[in-house]
Amino acid sequence: MAFANPAITAYAVEATEFPDLARRYMVTGVPKTVVTASAGAAPVEILGAVPQDDFIEQTLSASSNQLS
Amino acid sequence: MSLLSPADQQRLRESFAEMTRRVRLLFFTQTLDCETCLQTRQILDELPALTDNVIIEEVNFVLDKERVQEYGIDRVPAVAIAYDIDGAVTDSRIRFLGTPSGYEFISLVHAILLAGGRESILTPENRIRVAGMTTPITMHVFTTPT
Repeated sequence: MAFANPAITAYAVEATEFPDLARRYMVTGVPKTVVTASAGAAPVEILGAVPQDDFIEQTLSASSNQLS
Repeated sequence: MSLLSPADQQRLRESFAEMTRRVRLLFFTQTLDCETCLQTRQILDELPALTDNVIIEEVNFVLDKERVQEYGIDRVPAVAIAYDIDGAVTDSRIRFLGTPSGYEFISLVHAILLAGGRESILTPENRIRVAGMTTPITMHVFTTPT
């Protein structure tokens, strides 16, 4: 997705190596994806592996959370 | 000795052979206080042996503040994936934080192939939806090696 849009930056994080990040994003299981709009809106959390259409839907909803 | 089996090396060679662009792995590292930096370097070193289209550029996390800031790296080991287009280095905005072993290694290979010119796995509809988004967003995908 980062490849499809310059507005997206994607980090693949090895959770056990960085417990501080895992705590910050409240990671209790993997895979977990946290989508944050840069404006500091509420993040969207996607748990587990989900179908592509759902994944895109939920990711896009993060940008509409902006300034809400 | 290689960390990869001969069969895996062969599979990777065949996958990398389809790359149409040169991919740069910017490896952010530091000498002290980084337990997994050496292991990460050893994993990355496996790749240039399998293709001329993957090169590793080591970036000193302590000294090279300019690139650390440019690529938004706040910890090591980290790998930022960039690729060459018309002689210019282009940031893919895909990063790996931590050792890319196990499943993360597979993800790294997929990211390299994507940056190297392989077709996206997104459906054409989803590619359009994603491309239409204008708000900058950051995605953190948490995984473990097993």
